Amino acid sequence: MWTDLARVLRLWAPRRAALAGAMLVAMVSALSGVALLALAGQGVAAGLAAGGIFGLAALVWVRPLVLLRPLLRWGERMTSHAAAFHALADTRVWFFRRLAERMPGGIGMRGSGDLLGRVIGDVDALDRLYLGGVLPAGAGLAVLLAIVALLAGEPWLMLLVCLPLAFALVLPLLLAPAAARAAQRAAERRGGLRAAVVDPLAGLEDTLAANAEARAMDRLDGADRALMRGQRSLAKRSAWAGAAGGLLAQLAILAALGWGLAGGTEAAGMVVLALFLSVAAAEALGLMPRAGAALASAGAGARRLFEAADTPAPVAEPSHPAAMPSSSELVLKDIRFGWRPGAPVLDRLDLTLGEGERVAILGPSGAGKSTLSALLTKLAAPEAGTIRLGGTDIAGLPAADIRSRIVVLSQQARLFDDTIAANLRLAAPGAPDAALWRALAKAGIADHVRGLPEGLETRCGEGGTRFSGGEARRIALARALLPPAGILILDEPTTGLDAAAERAFLATLATACEGRSLLLVTHRLTGAEPLDRVLRLAGGRLLAATA
Amino acid sequence: MRQARVQAWRVALPIGLGLAVTACQVAVAFLVARILTTLLGFSTGGGWGDLAGAGALMLASAGLGGVQELAQQSAGEHARARIRAALFARMLELGPADPRGVGEKAALLVDRVEALDGFFARWLPAMTLAVLSPALVVALVWRADWVSALVLACLGLLVPVAMALTGIGAARESRRQLDVLGRLAGRFVDRLRGLATLVQFNRAEDEARALGAAAEEFRWRTLRVLRVAFLSSAMLELLSAFTLGYLAWRHGALMVGRGASDPTLSLFVVLMVPAFFAPLRAFSAAYHEAMSARGAAAELAPLLEALPAAGLLLEEVPRRVALVFNEVELRHPDAPKPALSRLTFALAPGEVLMLVGPSGAGKSSVLRLLMGFARPTAGRIAVNGQDVTRLRPSELRRLSAYVGQRAHLFGGTLRENIRLARPEASEAEVIRAAEAARVMAFAAELPQGLDTPVGEGGHGISGGQAQRVALARAFLRDAPLVLLDEPTASLDPGTEAEVMEAIARLCTGRTAIIATHSAALLGLSGRVLELGDRRLADAG
Repeated sequence: MWTDLARVLRLWAPRRAALAGAMLVAMVSALSGVALLALAGQGVAAGLAAGGIFGLAALVWVRPLVLLRPLLRWGERMTSHAAAFHALADTRVWFFRRLAERMPGGIGMRGSGDLLGRVIGDVDALDRLYLGGVLPAGAGLAVLLAIVALLAGEPWLMLLVCLPLAFALVLPLLLAPAAARAAQRAAERRGGLRAAVVDPLAGLEDTLAANAEARAMDRLDGADRALMRGQRSLAKRSAWAGAAGGLLAQLAILAALGWGLAGGTEAAGMVVLALFLSVAAAEALGLMPRAGAALASAGAGARRLFEAADTPAPVAEPSHPAAMPSSSELVLKDIRFGWRPGAPVLDRLDLTLGEGERVAILGPSGAGKSTLSALLTKLAAPEAGTIRLGGTDIAGLPAADIRSRIVVLSQQARLFDDTIAANLRLAAPGAPDAALWRALAKAGIADHVRGLPEGLETRCGEGGTRFSGGEARRIALARALLPPAGILILDEPTTGLDAAAERAFLATLATACEGRSLLLVTHRLTGAEPLDRVLRLAGGRLLAATA
Repeated sequence: MRQARVQAWRVALPIGLGLAVTACQVAVAFLVARILTTLLGFSTGGGWGDLAGAGALMLASAGLGGVQELAQQSAGEHARARIRAALFARMLELGPADPRGVGEKAALLVDRVEALDGFFARWLPAMTLAVLSPALVVALVWRADWVSALVLACLGLLVPVAMALTGIGAARESRRQLDVLGRLAGRFVDRLRGLATLVQFNRAEDEARALGAAAEEFRWRTLRVLRVAFLSSAMLELLSAFTLGYLAWRHGALMVGRGASDPTLSLFVVLMVPAFFAPLRAFSAAYHEAMSARGAAAELAPLLEALPAAGLLLEEVPRRVALVFNEVELRHPDAPKPALSRLTFALAPGEVLMLVGPSGAGKSSVLRLLMGFARPTAGRIAVNGQDVTRLRPSELRRLSAYVGQRAHLFGGTLRENIRLARPEASEAEVIRAAEAARVMAFAAELPQGLDTPVGEGGHGISGGQAQRVALARAFLRDAPLVLLDEPTASLDPGTEAEVMEAIARLCTGRTAIIATHSAALLGLSGRVLELGDRRLADAG
């Protein structure tokens, strides 16, 4: 837990100045609270001791503090929250970057609901590290030191008062490890609740089609109950820690009174001072033991965040990238690869795709056609064999450069919940509308888009749900045709297109990939494709096919 | 808020405990004051006995406080669970008609409902305690010094005024903040599900920056909400500091000036200030939680207040289904032309209908109408002579086995994904369905067979394989009406031929509608209905 929290703090290093500044304000604010009560105490004590000048003078100083203290408290809260939220926003972006880096082929077995929970809920929990842990600890320490200084005249009194207060300050460190397990469980269950909500909603039609509403409700109910149990155990720890904190602060009051009772009336002034200081400390230090549960929650959030963010990258980036070759000739030699160990999908595969060549790869579903395009775009690295682009091994080339040279229209190509134009411009930022229309025309969907009242500005809906399957596929196709990449890999480009649309698209394919190499991955050919060669993928190898 | 009234005792318990805590604090303040005056030599009443009594009361008050907190927690969680379940049921009922994205829905169900917690857990008890506890303190202080009591009462009455002043617009701000959170969540889920597409086009970095902008907006929206809360707690501190300062001065001066007042009572009054403001502090904190709960509730209310879908229930699923479409029209609210216009056809029990036509012609719409995902905007659809709109949509779905174009695989094993269609099916039936849909053809080669886990959205298996799993569901479903939307779209010709044979078997004796482009599927015996932009012709 502590290592995770330390890593979070390192992650927040760029915000160090703001975080430290807020801490300073918090300390000053806490000290002003001590000063207010100390002066009030002095005033009362002096008044009771029949009118010392010091007592009334002390009360004069109370007046500006009465105004200053709430102001400082407000400033402390604003600056500390502003700094903490900046750090949280940074963390969210960092997390997304990491995922993109570590899961370039998609989120795989991790559900999107689970990851959403991590980026929203678990990142939110991190603010407790600072706001609930570091910050109050700093303020509490300042208060404790001030009390030590003010009571230094009576060492035994100081010791009696400060011991319970110091104990309240270190209590969270003792409580946190035990609370960590409960916090971890609560965080996991919150993730479970989110998954229970997202999973059936992501496949809403299929959930409904199976009349699985009742089962989805049961799952939600179970997840909610589990979360409640987890939260309750954490709340219990927090509540009792809070009670302990209040008690420790009050113990300081009792200690001061006890010291007075034992010592007699001479030191009564000091007792009153100690009493009021203890009351002031209750505010700063009494809440401190709760920090244990807060730190544990933050630690659990950090654990879950790093666990997802530390998924190993499937293909490491080269440390000394080679220069991009100008030629787009692809040569694959002796490739072996499998997604599961011991089950190779591709075995001793050879392929040469000359510059400007158009080759089709045929094969039944599951034969490894999509795997091949994953290898070519460095979403995975071959277990054996080499892939050369223009003579350079792609292992030595940066993945981003490879992906701008080789564009894949995969089966999972997704339209985002944004406008058609924005979805297309993903592939070519800043492309003029005319280019977008040309790409749409090649994909055979321009007329349809023109017929929409909002044209290019029509929103696609999540995953392109605004359109029929064939229309969405064609927009994705237009997007793949847009960038000027040297090599185009189309994985079943005509899925969901009717026969007439398919013929029309294949007729434009020759012009669409003019001057580019084309790898057409498909399970059947219509005969209309403008191809140079046809290969068949079988048994993990590519063989020439008689088309 | 009205939807989930908390049982009265759940609120009464924390209130009773809160009052007990205040009573303890009052007693402690009195004992401490007595010990102090003894120390100062004004009286001789206080001693070790008082100290022990104060210690015991402090212990009791800490214990009662802890129990109070837990009682509040429990009241909150029950209310939340009830609201969450009601909302989720409503979202399932609305189905695909609800345009919100998955991430946004999840934010509603999880985060907004969590935001209601403060209302039930703390606001309801704090509201009562903020009146009763200070009143108790004022009454007791009155007996000691009526001026002090009056000051306390007046300043205490200022608290709600300050709250209301600083809280103006708080609910609105908090609603905006939650809206932004919903958008942030929606955007994040959407982009995550298409992470591979973003990486392909090297746009992950831009997306990270755009996400950063969304996260930044959420940050300052949150801060705006908090600024209001902080302002009101600053007001409260000002009031409490002022009270303390004034009472300290008054009682200090009283004794300096005349020495007439009872020093024990004077000290008691000063020591009562924290106990007086504690419930008001809790009230102030809860007030802002309640404000953000109102913000959250504003979005939830329309969903919760909507009446549950009415409609008839099926007594039993009929064995045979006859279908009639009469001048059926489906028009989406913002679409320029109807998705389906004036479609008429009839289908006898056991008949198979192929829907063909260019994409966007409305093939899927016909199936979606029969699944109750949409309601016809004009015309009439009858199943066995009954208007389908009279049936509750979930009941209508009991008639059908449906495979949509974007069949979704849930995170779980292949077996669980198939079994979804009919959980009570036997093991042998699941295997038979998997065989019929040619799932076994690839599952047999996997080391874990049907127990192979697949990721959400079908990660780990190919598109064609996912489609076969979806088809296996239809086999297992064993419903009288079969609705298939492009069932062989991503299959290779070999598998397609095998699956087609299986589809032919599936359709035997059942009424079936198959939307398809595939020439091979048209080889199945059945009528063909061509939908087009032009006139609709029944080509049967």
